[in-house]
Amino acid sequence: MTRRLPGASTQVFLVLLTLAFLAPVVWALLSALKPANQIISSPLAFDPATFTFENYKRMFADVPIGRGFFNTAVVLLFKGGLTLFFAPLAAYGFAKYEFRFKGLLFGTVLITLMLPTIVLIIPLLLEMKELGWVNTYQALVLPGAVDAFAIFWMRQVIAAVPDELLDAARVDGCSEFGIFWRIVLPVIRPALAGLAVLTVMNIYNDFVWPVVIASTDRMATLQVVLSTLAQNISGNRIGADYATVTGELLAAASVALIPLLVVFIVLQKHFINGILAGSVKG
Amino acid sequence: MQQRFHRPVAVLAGVVLATTGLAACGPSITSGDSTPAGSSSATATTDPDELASPDESTVSGEVTIWDREGDLFKVFDATIAAFNKKYPNIKVNHVAVDIDAKLQNTLISGTDVPDGVFLDDAKVAGFADHLWKLDDVMEPYLGDIAQQKKDVNTLDGSVYGVPFDSDPGLLYYNAKALEDAGIDATTIATYDDLLAAAKAYQAKVPGSKPIHLEQSPFLGQLQLEMYASQLGTSIADEKGQLRLDSPEYQQILTWLDTVQKEGLGTRAEYLSPSDIKPLDSGKEVFYPWSIWFDFAPQQLLPKTKGDWRAMPLPAWKEGGARSGAMGGSSFVLPKEGKNSQAAWLFYKFLMFDQAGYSAVWGTSSVYPDGLNTSIPSYTPAADPAKPLFGPVEALGGQDLWKVATEAGSEIPGGAPIPTWWAGAVDYLGNNVQKMLDGKLTPQQVIDQSTDDIQKNLVDRQ
Amino acid sequence: MSTIAAEPRTRPSAAAPGRRSHRTPSRRRLAPYVFVLPFIALFVAFSVYPMLFTLQLSFTNWRGSGSAQWVGWDNYTYLLTNPAFWQSLGNSAVMWLLIVPVQMLLALLVAILLDNAKTRMRAFYRVAFLVPFVTPLVAIAQIWVVVFDQDYGVVNSVLNAVGLPDVGWLTTSAWAKPTLALLFLWKTTGFIVIILLSGLQSIDPAVYEASSIDGATRFRQLRSITLPLVRRTLVFAVVLQTLAIFQMFAEPFVVTQGGPYSSTTTAGLYLYNHITRADLGTGAANSFLLVIVVMALSLGFVRLLRSED
Repeated sequence: MTRRLPGASTQVFLVLLTLAFLAPVVWALLSALKPANQIISSPLAFDPATFTFENYKRMFADVPIGRGFFNTAVVLLFKGGLTLFFAPLAAYGFAKYEFRFKGLLFGTVLITLMLPTIVLIIPLLLEMKELGWVNTYQALVLPGAVDAFAIFWMRQVIAAVPDELLDAARVDGCSEFGIFWRIVLPVIRPALAGLAVLTVMNIYNDFVWPVVIASTDRMATLQVVLSTLAQNISGNRIGADYATVTGELLAAASVALIPLLVVFIVLQKHFINGILAGSVKG
Repeated sequence: MQQRFHRPVAVLAGVVLATTGLAACGPSITSGDSTPAGSSSATATTDPDELASPDESTVSGEVTIWDREGDLFKVFDATIAAFNKKYPNIKVNHVAVDIDAKLQNTLISGTDVPDGVFLDDAKVAGFADHLWKLDDVMEPYLGDIAQQKKDVNTLDGSVYGVPFDSDPGLLYYNAKALEDAGIDATTIATYDDLLAAAKAYQAKVPGSKPIHLEQSPFLGQLQLEMYASQLGTSIADEKGQLRLDSPEYQQILTWLDTVQKEGLGTRAEYLSPSDIKPLDSGKEVFYPWSIWFDFAPQQLLPKTKGDWRAMPLPAWKEGGARSGAMGGSSFVLPKEGKNSQAAWLFYKFLMFDQAGYSAVWGTSSVYPDGLNTSIPSYTPAADPAKPLFGPVEALGGQDLWKVATEAGSEIPGGAPIPTWWAGAVDYLGNNVQKMLDGKLTPQQVIDQSTDDIQKNLVDRQ
Repeated sequence: MSTIAAEPRTRPSAAAPGRRSHRTPSRRRLAPYVFVLPFIALFVAFSVYPMLFTLQLSFTNWRGSGSAQWVGWDNYTYLLTNPAFWQSLGNSAVMWLLIVPVQMLLALLVAILLDNAKTRMRAFYRVAFLVPFVTPLVAIAQIWVVVFDQDYGVVNSVLNAVGLPDVGWLTTSAWAKPTLALLFLWKTTGFIVIILLSGLQSIDPAVYEASSIDGATRFRQLRSITLPLVRRTLVFAVVLQTLAIFQMFAEPFVVTQGGPYSSTTTAGLYLYNHITRADLGTGAANSFLLVIVVMALSLGFVRLLRSED
C-alpha cells in the first residue's frame, strides 16, 4: 500500500485541530482549580499560586456525584446492552427480510426519530405514572432502550451486506439467528464499534428525560446532577451565589469527565481495536 | 409472497393490544372537561381549594420541601434545627431541585408532588390551579406583609403563596469615583437629577458611560418592571389586561432612550465581562438594580470593593416612591402534596416567627454576616432599627439593612404577574433592546409590544 | 469469508439451491418477527403511544391542568401564520448551512486521516475529538460567552491587535448564529467523525491495493474509490445532523436565550419555549410541523446525494 499522505503536514493539522477542540475543556478543568470569584471576574487569568481545591471540596460536600456516577453506570450497562444487542438484530430483520407491516413499522421508526423528544416528555411521564415507574431504573432504561437511531444506522449498514453471503450460509444449514451471529455481525464490526461508542455517549449525555423522570438524589444520573447545579447560572437569572455554583459546576464537570475518558481509552484499546482487528477483511 | 402467518401476527396483535390496554388506563383528553387527579387532604371550609388551619398539636409526619440548589438551600437547611425545636414531630425532607425544570412536569403528572416549593413570584400565577389558597391560614399575617408582595401572590382575590423576600430596587453608586469627580450622589432625588449627575461625571471622566443599561432582554424587562413598580403599575393589571400604553411607561422608556441617546449608558449584560470591567474601573458608576446587585461588589469587583454604596432609587416625580420591586420569590403549597399543613407550619415558622426569620437572614455558617441579598417581606421582621444582617464591608461598612428596609416600605402596591410574562420577553424585552439600539422610539416599543403580546399571548390563554 | 461449521439442526425439507419452493421454511418466515419483536414491543409502548397522545394533544389547547378543549386545526393555523414560527425555521436553516457543509468536509478529512494506518496516535485523536461531545454544555457556555464578549473577549482582542474593530459576536443578529454554529460544530464533529470512520473502515483494503498496483495516486484513490463508497455513510451523517440541528435547543437556550432579537431562536428552541410556558397544544402541533419539515429535507437529501444502491 503506497499511502504517502500522512506526513508532517497531517500531524500538524491534527495537532492544531486537537488543540482547538480541547482548549475549552482544558479551560474548564483549570478553572475548576481557581477560587470561585476569580472564575467570573477574571476568567482568562490563571495564576497557579492561587490554585485551590475549594471548589472540589464544596462540590463533594454538596453534590451527590457518587450516586450520579452509579446511576449513570447502571443505565449505561443495561440500556447500552439492550441497544447493542437488539438494535442490530432488529435492523437485520428490517434489512434482510420481507414481512408484513415492515414498511409501516420502519416508517414509524423514522417519524419518531424526527419528532423532537421534548414534546414526548409529558405523555411519557403520564404513562410512567400509570405504570408506577416514576423515579425507577426501568423508567430510565426502557423508553428508548432500543434506540431508533441505532436501528436506522444498523439497517443501513446491514443492507449493504451481500445477500449471497447469507444464502450461502443458509445452504450450509445455518439457522436464521446463526446467520446473524456468525456472518452479519463479523462483517459489520466497524459499524458496531462506532455504535458502541456513540451509544455510550448518547446515554451519558441524555438529560432531557432523566431530569424529568429520575431527579431524586437517589435516582439522579450524572447529567441530572450537573443540570441541577447549573440552574443558578442559567442565562436569564444569575443567583447571588453565581460564583460558588459555577466553581462547583466546573469541578463536577471535571470529575464527570475523567472516568468517561478512562472508559473511552480502555474501550479503544481492548474492545474497539479488538473488534477492528477482527474485521481484517479476507 | 402471500402467505399467512398466524402465530407471528397473533404475537404482534397481542403486543398492540397490551399497549392500547395501557393507554386505556392512561390519561385521556376529551373535548369536554378533563380534570387531573383529585385533591388530597380534605378541608372543613366551604372552598375545597382553601387550606384549612391545622391543629398544631396534632400535625406530624414527614414533609417534603423543594428549594433551588445553592447557598440559599444551605441557609434554609440550617433553619430546620430551629424549626424542630418548636415542632419536634415534623420531619423535614429538604430537597434541592431544579424547580424550573421539574415543577411543571411534577404537577402535571401528579407524582411525588412536594408539600412546599420555593417559586419565583413571576411563576406563582401560572401554577395557581395546582396550589392551595392560603387566605384562611395567612389571615393573621396579611395586614403585616408588604403590599406589593401580597398583590403579586393574589389571583382573583385569593392568596396563593407565602411571600418570602422583598427585593427592593436601589441605586448603587461608586461613591469614591463620584467624590473624586466632585459629585455628591446623595443629592439625587429624581431621575432627572440622575441624568444631570451622569452628565457631570462624564464631563470629568472622559470615556465613561456612567449609567448601566441592561442588554439581556429578560433582565431588561425585569428592570423595566422595577421602574414601573415605582409608579404603581406593571405590564398587566390584576385582570390580566395589558396596560403598557400609559404615561408611566412613556416616561420610563423616554428616560432610558435619553440615557442611550446622550451616550451616558454602558450597555452590557448583567455582570458579563463587558459589565464588570467598566464597573471595576470607574467607567460605570450608577447601577439602578434590585438589592441583590450587592453581591457584585462583595465578590466580583476586587478593585472597587468598598467604594460602592446603596441609596434608594430616584423618584420619577418629586416626592414619588423611591423604590420598586425587582424579582422576589414566595413559597407555594401544591394541592397534591401529602402533608400540606405541615409545610404551612414550616413556612409560617420561617417567615413569621422571629426564630425563623432571624435564622434565615441572620448570621449563619453560609453567611457569617447574614444574608444581605434580600429583606423580609413581613414588616415586623423588616424593621429598619433592628437589622438582621450586619453592615456590608464591600459597601464601606454601610448599613444596607436600613437603606433597603426603608426603601422597601415605599414600594407601592402591585398586581399578580401574568402567566405569560416570560413569553412577553420575546416582544417587550426585545423591543426595549431595539429601542436602546436606536431602532425604535418609545411609543413604537409600546405599540408593537402591546399588539404582539395581545395577539400571541393574552388572546391564546 | 470464513466457512461455517454446519449447525446440528434439522435441515429444512425444501429449498434445494436454485429452485424457489412455495414452502419457504417456517423458521425463515418466523425469524424476522422474532428479531424485530423486542424492539417493537418497547417501541410501541414507549414511542408510539406517546406520539399518538401528542398528536391528539396538538388538536387541543391543554395547558397542563384543568380541561382540554378541542380546537381543531387552530394551533396549526396559528403557527403557520405566525412570523415567529417561520423565523425559527429560517434560523435553523441558516444554522444548517453554516454547520453541515463545513462539518462534513472537516469530519471526512479527519476520518480519512484517522483511517490511515500510518497516522500516529490515532487512538488519542479519536478520543480527543469526542471530548467536546461529552463535556457539559453549561460548563462550556461560560467560556464561549467570555471569549466572544464584544468588548473584552479574546477574539476581539485579537481582531483589535490586527487593526480590526470589535464585533458583537453574541450581541448582534448577524453574528450570533455563526458564533453559535461554531459551538455546535465544536461539540458534534467528533460524533460525525466516528460515523464516517466506521464507514471508511468498511471499505475493503483489497480495492485500494488493486488500484495502487494499477498506479493510482493517493489522491486519485480518494476521488474514485473512497468518496463514492463512503457516500452512503455521508448521506446518513447529513440526515442525522439535519435532525439534530432542527431539534437543537440546549445551545441557544444556555448561551443566548434565543436572542439577540430571536435570531438564534431555532426551531427546537421555539418548540421548547411552548412547552416550558405550558402551551402544550401548540407545542404538540409545532412538533408535528417540524417532523414534516425535517422529513421533507431528509428525503430531499437522500434523493439528491445518493447514487443508485
